[in-house]
Amino acid sequence: MNDVSMSRVELLDASTAPLSAQQFFSGGDPGPIVAALATVPELLVPALGFVGSALGAGAIGVRAKELAILRTSALQGCTYCIHAHTAVSLDVGLSPDEVRALRGELPLEDGFPSARERALIGWIDALAGATGPVPDDVWTEARDHWAAHDLVEISVTVGATMFLNRFATGFQLPTATHVLERLQAEGMA
Amino acid sequence: MTDVEERIAHGPIADAVRSGVLPGRVWLYSNYHCNLACSYCLTESSPRSERRELTAEQMIAIAEQSKDLGFTGVGITGGEPFLLPWLTDTVLDMVEFLPVLLLNNGTLFAGDRLERAARLAHPDIALQISLDSHLADINDMARGPENFAKVVASVPRLIERGVRVRIATTTGGPLDSSHLDPLRALVASWGVPPDDHIVRPIVRRGRADEFGLGVQAIARDIPSELCITADGAFWGSFGPTVSNGRLDTDLLLTRTILPVSVPANALLAAISGMPEGADATLGIR
Ligand code: SF4
Repeated sequence: MNDVSMSRVELLDASTAPLSAQQFFSGGDPGPIVAALATVPELLVPALGFVGSALGAGAIGVRAKELAILRTSALQGCTYCIHAHTAVSLDVGLSPDEVRALRGELPLEDGFPSARERALIGWIDALAGATGPVPDDVWTEARDHWAAHDLVEISVTVGATMFLNRFATGFQLPTATHVLERLQAEGMA
Repeated sequence: MTDVEERIAHGPIADAVRSGVLPGRVWLYSNYHCNLACSYCLTESSPRSERRELTAEQMIAIAEQSKDLGFTGVGITGGEPFLLPWLTDTVLDMVEFLPVLLLNNGTLFAGDRLERAARLAHPDIALQISLDSHLADINDMARGPENFAKVVASVPRLIERGVRVRIATTTGGPLDSSHLDPLRALVASWGVPPDDHIVRPIVRRGRADEFGLGVQAIARDIPSELCITADGAFWGSFGPTVSNGRLDTDLLLTRTILPVSVPANALLAAISGMPEGADATLGIR
């Protein structure tokens, strides 16, 4: 059952979800992003298709993707996505200190000694944490370590994450209770 | 290309309508408020309901685009459409594109309103008026005081003025019950042909669900007509019901209503793969 008390928009469930959204509810609660998007059914499938591809497994690897998602969410101040992707990042093998560094709670150098990953984070920071042009030195540094198609892929991940960040923040989507409890137990809430 | 070929719509919607996969009539909920508050109302309509009106411009555009896509008619329902002062003019604009079936409760045809409705005397416009029993007290139990008297006064007046009238009877009993014979006779006495007297069950949605009335129906039991409201487009004219003040979204297709191709294609996609339903056996229409 969704916690509808916090959300600014009605979160649909299996009994209220439109026909074309039913497939997402047949396995149980699909989470508040799907439950909110289902109120505009013609957007649900294309939006999830885009987000699923952008955030799911890709050529660049799951570690780089989670790094982009969590860093972007932290820069955007999205509590929902920070919680959800702190849990996912830990699950895919990021250390607690890496997670804290991405969330801005530790100096980046402490969590990421590798120049290659710091170059990628520099690119992510320039996209998600700033407005206006991306400086040449950030691009050059990123290109020294990553192929252009890697940066295209990670940029799509950053863009899709920013959409989710603003969507979840604007509508005050609630973090699942089990995620919050887990993060609290691990001292990562 | 000949004139006739030019007028024939092409495309997947037109093909689906021609082959019977998609019903030809597009329904519009012009508004949700009503001067009555019937016990089985699918939309919990009443004088205090949120109006949720389509605009005249939207309704005309829907008729025009529906024709271009290959639909063959439009139906208007509510709420009570005749509460909209601009309705008559809009229907006359819509019928330039497609035949119009206009559902209403038959209680608003006095004075000026009768003369305005008389302008709807047109071979491609029919007014479908609700009447549930030949007995005033039985009819009025669900539909409210004086409903019977108003309807039996209005129907002959409209027919006299050349307006085509159909009668719709909603019943909680069997559709072929001989109890309905006196009502059929009353309807026939006005010169309404038997085919223009529709008898249909109460569908258990909206206020009917609250009171435990009518037949249960899931999506595939409900005729798959495209139905457009101010809140979006739905599967079937029984889709955009209201329960406990909340619009039911289980049969919502799209929030986009114009261009009509967007919800029409969503409906076609939803129909494909859906097993045959019980709409024929339940008599839902
Ligand atoms: S059933 Fe029709 S006439 Fe009765 S309240 Fe509902 S909209 Fe009005």
